[in-house]
Amino acid sequence: MLETLNHTYQGFSETMSAGFQTILQFFSTHTILSGFLTLVLNGACHFLLPFLALLVIVRCGRSLFQSNLEPECWGNLVLSNGNRLPLTHWENLIGRSRLADVQMLFPSVSRSHAAMIRDSKGKWTLYPLNSKNGVTVNGSTVTEAVPLKPRDIISFGGIATCFLPSTPEEERQQAARRVRPGKNFSPSVTLLVLTLFQLLLSIELMTVSAAEHLQNILVAFGILIIIMWALYFIYRIFRRTSYELETLAFFLTTLCLTITARTSPSGLKKQTFCVIVGIVLFFGLTLFLRHPEFVRKARWPMAAGSVLLLGLNLLLAAVHFGAKNWLSIGGISFQPSEFVKIVFILVGAVTLDKMFDKRNLIVTLLYSAFCVGCLGLMSDFGTALIFFVTFLAITFLRSGDLASVLFMFAAAVFAGYIVLQFKSYILARFAVYRHVWDDPSNLGYQQTRTLSAIANGGLFGKGLGNGWLHKVGASNTDLVFGVISEELGLIIAVLGVVVILMMAVFAVQEASAARSSFSVITACSAAMIFVVQTMLNVFGSTDLLPLTGVTLPFVSVGGSSMMSCWALLAFLKASDTRQNAALAVKLPQKKAKDNAETDPESWTEKTGFLYRPQQVEQNSDGLPQLHAKLTEQQSVPVPVPADEPEAPEDFPEVPVSQEPPADAPVSDADNWQDFFLKPEEWEKK
Amino acid sequence: MKQLKFRTIFISFFTLCLCFGMVFLLGSYVVDGDYWAAHRSAGSVTKGTITDRNGQLLYDFSNGSYSDDYEIRVSTVHAVGDKVGSIANSAKSKLVGSQSSFNIITGISSKDTSLQLTLDANLNARALELLDGRKGVISLYNYKTGDILCMLSAPCFDPTDSEVIKAINEGSEKYQGAYVNRFFSSTYTPGSTFKVVTTAAALETMKHVEEFSFSCDSDLSYGDDSVTCPSTHGTVDLWEALGKSCNGAFATLANEIGGKTVEEYAKKAGLLSPMEVNGIKTAAGSFTVSKSAIEEGWSGVGQYKNLVNPCSEMTLMGCIAMDGTAASPSLIPTTKKTMKQASIDWKPSTCETVREMMRNNVVNHYGQSKFGELPVCAKSGTAEVGSDSPHAWFVGFVDSEEYPYAFVVMVEHGGWGSSTAGGIAAELLRAACE
Repeated sequence: MLETLNHTYQGFSETMSAGFQTILQFFSTHTILSGFLTLVLNGACHFLLPFLALLVIVRCGRSLFQSNLEPECWGNLVLSNGNRLPLTHWENLIGRSRLADVQMLFPSVSRSHAAMIRDSKGKWTLYPLNSKNGVTVNGSTVTEAVPLKPRDIISFGGIATCFLPSTPEEERQQAARRVRPGKNFSPSVTLLVLTLFQLLLSIELMTVSAAEHLQNILVAFGILIIIMWALYFIYRIFRRTSYELETLAFFLTTLCLTITARTSPSGLKKQTFCVIVGIVLFFGLTLFLRHPEFVRKARWPMAAGSVLLLGLNLLLAAVHFGAKNWLSIGGISFQPSEFVKIVFILVGAVTLDKMFDKRNLIVTLLYSAFCVGCLGLMSDFGTALIFFVTFLAITFLRSGDLASVLFMFAAAVFAGYIVLQFKSYILARFAVYRHVWDDPSNLGYQQTRTLSAIANGGLFGKGLGNGWLHKVGASNTDLVFGVISEELGLIIAVLGVVVILMMAVFAVQEASAARSSFSVITACSAAMIFVVQTMLNVFGSTDLLPLTGVTLPFVSVGGSSMMSCWALLAFLKASDTRQNAALAVKLPQKKAKDNAETDPESWTEKTGFLYRPQQVEQNSDGLPQLHAKLTEQQSVPVPVPADEPEAPEDFPEVPVSQEPPADAPVSDADNWQDFFLKPEEWEKK
Repeated sequence: MKQLKFRTIFISFFTLCLCFGMVFLLGSYVVDGDYWAAHRSAGSVTKGTITDRNGQLLYDFSNGSYSDDYEIRVSTVHAVGDKVGSIANSAKSKLVGSQSSFNIITGISSKDTSLQLTLDANLNARALELLDGRKGVISLYNYKTGDILCMLSAPCFDPTDSEVIKAINEGSEKYQGAYVNRFFSSTYTPGSTFKVVTTAAALETMKHVEEFSFSCDSDLSYGDDSVTCPSTHGTVDLWEALGKSCNGAFATLANEIGGKTVEEYAKKAGLLSPMEVNGIKTAAGSFTVSKSAIEEGWSGVGQYKNLVNPCSEMTLMGCIAMDGTAASPSLIPTTKKTMKQASIDWKPSTCETVREMMRNNVVNHYGQSKFGELPVCAKSGTAEVGSDSPHAWFVGFVDSEEYPYAFVVMVEHGGWGSSTAGGIAAELLRAACE
């Protein structure tokens, strides 16, 4: 199989470089011209590169963060006075707590009273949590998860609500009126800028590389540009308009290929291949995440597989005496830990109902302990640390229990201290920490070289081929920040870290609009891995932290690392709930059967509830938009007396919340809710 | 979900850490960038050369080659540096960076990094020959300009000989401590060379010091133990005590003025604090004040726990020659503007008297004939170190306008100071003044 791949590669590269050869021949016959051109091009590239990089990042950043988060609405809980409590996620916590998604400020409602969860097919389930006053559905008390039907009367601690899920038609309309990403900052323009960045970089690279590597460089950058645009067009075919995260990742990948071409040109072919595999993994995982129920089932066999993989690795490492964190199967060597990261996150993530289940946390705990233990025994302490911190993040996301997280942290520090007593070479790394200049030729060797390289490069870098840090061991993995600083400048190196920061901020930001806990936990854990790895790598090489030798996400040279980073990006992307943003998020079906919306008359007859339509106001484009301040609507300020909660005659007396029911703006653009009557009309009848 | 959103604060915290870390890193870049630039290693330099004061090539950065001459290669290895940077305080690892200029925006400007040292390669090679395979330190500098003309630390080695480097790394006895430049980084028991300090202390603090006299019968008894002299010196005054290097006389002096005072004068002489030579910090000497009379006596003789660094000792000699303030040694040529001064806190009159006494040593005790016409002032030392044969010292300077040289010669386990080290010093001066 490898041979076939090689053949394809050969054929492809020959075609690509044929044209290039003629250009080269032209230049080799006109040396003065080529010398002049080289000088001009290098000068131009040198100072243009940071600005192009900045432009790409600013465009992506503004596109990612500038637009307000538009919440989605998946249904309502209608109170007896007609007020609607919108369900803005697929997983909603109902309770009195400030942090409940549907906050019901009634004394009889517990802080975390119940969870309502929608699956990807639109089916809703009610999970009663350990509340004091219980939950009833249509009058009967429920103690276990029950499926919900539209217009079920659910009563939380005596507070009756009518459950009204969005109809497929409503969902479609919601999708139609939400703003699509990429509207203000066209992704194709950003991508064009990035392509220019890549072209300039490859030209500068080719002017300083040995002749035998030119073809490889040309092919690698060619493939990168092609695959970048191909993925973009696939997105367009699927009507997805957001490409910021991918563009940012491609920016980092470009840096990686540049560093590979500079430091180990013979490995460029392999690295490019790994980039392709990584992007295929990203795409595959994206499609996989379209089916969250299937993912949740499939992760257990994956977990078993990862346990086997790590166990095998550990066994072989034991045979090879000492640190060995890679496996070699059929001539291809890879780092199992990089792939276990993906499964690790999947195993750690849970849905809202499971978050209250302590048993579930213990399984995760055992699995995490196994992973961290294996890595520790393999002496891969850097990776073990990443796993551990990610585990802490998952634990905190799931339990919110800072005390136990701190306890585990303290225990780990203690365990680390014990380990240090036996591993003197790690202790030596700590001994030189913050004192690298005292021992620049031995223990502080890599750090002092990196710092000097950063100083050498300045803001704009000395230009590709004019650095020397690449001669130091592990320069293209552990010290990659220094190599980029020296040759491409501190601006580009810092922008690389800014990209990681943006990814993390994005993951946190999306948490408020996300549909399920599962996607929040996976996205945040992936972001956590990126952030921790970046800290350990960049700060380790610059002596702000002890040097641990982990990779910089997307940038460090290494096949397994590249693949796993792209795969982790899929988790970030899947949490993007902006309209038509992520392939992992399904669009509402075009031709869905629509159950006609509740007829207000029969509604009131059946439930005894006042009817009031959804609040809709117009946005700047004249399209109707869900009320922007959903949070204000969610809390019901004046509680209904608990002793007579369901008395229908009470509702006129209940002070209505601030919203003006009579003159609620109604869209002219769509007649979709003209179908409903306004409250006063209803009263007249 | 809101709950979960709240809990993402954990991730936000780490993100903030990364953010602040980057700000800190950039701050350090602005503040310490010039330090990072100045201390960059030889690996960062790809063009330029290191030459000696006469333009003789010592190292070529473009191809990593050393001098063709074996003796020069070996004798200058500590000054130039080895291939991989195991010698920390060398021109390759330390001095190169100090020549380049750093700017926050453009980084290190890539001007020619050629470096001319003050060393005389031939003099170094001659010193290597004189040391004849023994371990030790030989150095000579111009106390008026600061130029270090000769700096030899042995054992030294051929940086191009991989067999030798392998032997060093395997811990061969012959090359023990070969990566250490003893001139900067070692301290030794000074032995009788320290009597210069005791003399200065006595001159400044003792009343009627001219009337001091001591009757030496080779054994000054302190109860059970005694301070001994190698031979019976008879009755000596201060001049004769220094010239004959009478241990008994100096032990008595130390007891009379007190250990504290001797320590104070060692401090004033700059022997107890590190020096800085082109950014290279030297090792600091030490002096321990003892309450026991015999230990106090021995410490005034330069034994007990006294330690001095050869570079500091050589600078002290320069300062005595210049009435207290001389040029500080430098490996890089200096101008009047860039020259640094070293000074000792002794009175000029004290320096003058000590100078005369050291001249008297040469004329009446060591023999002027060794040094030809040169007006050399010196003090020998034979430092007892355990049961091995003693370290041989010979320190001093030429009191002349034409040849303002101060020198230090220290042969580990070399035997008698004046004969072993004094002989080397005489030959070295002859070569230097040719």
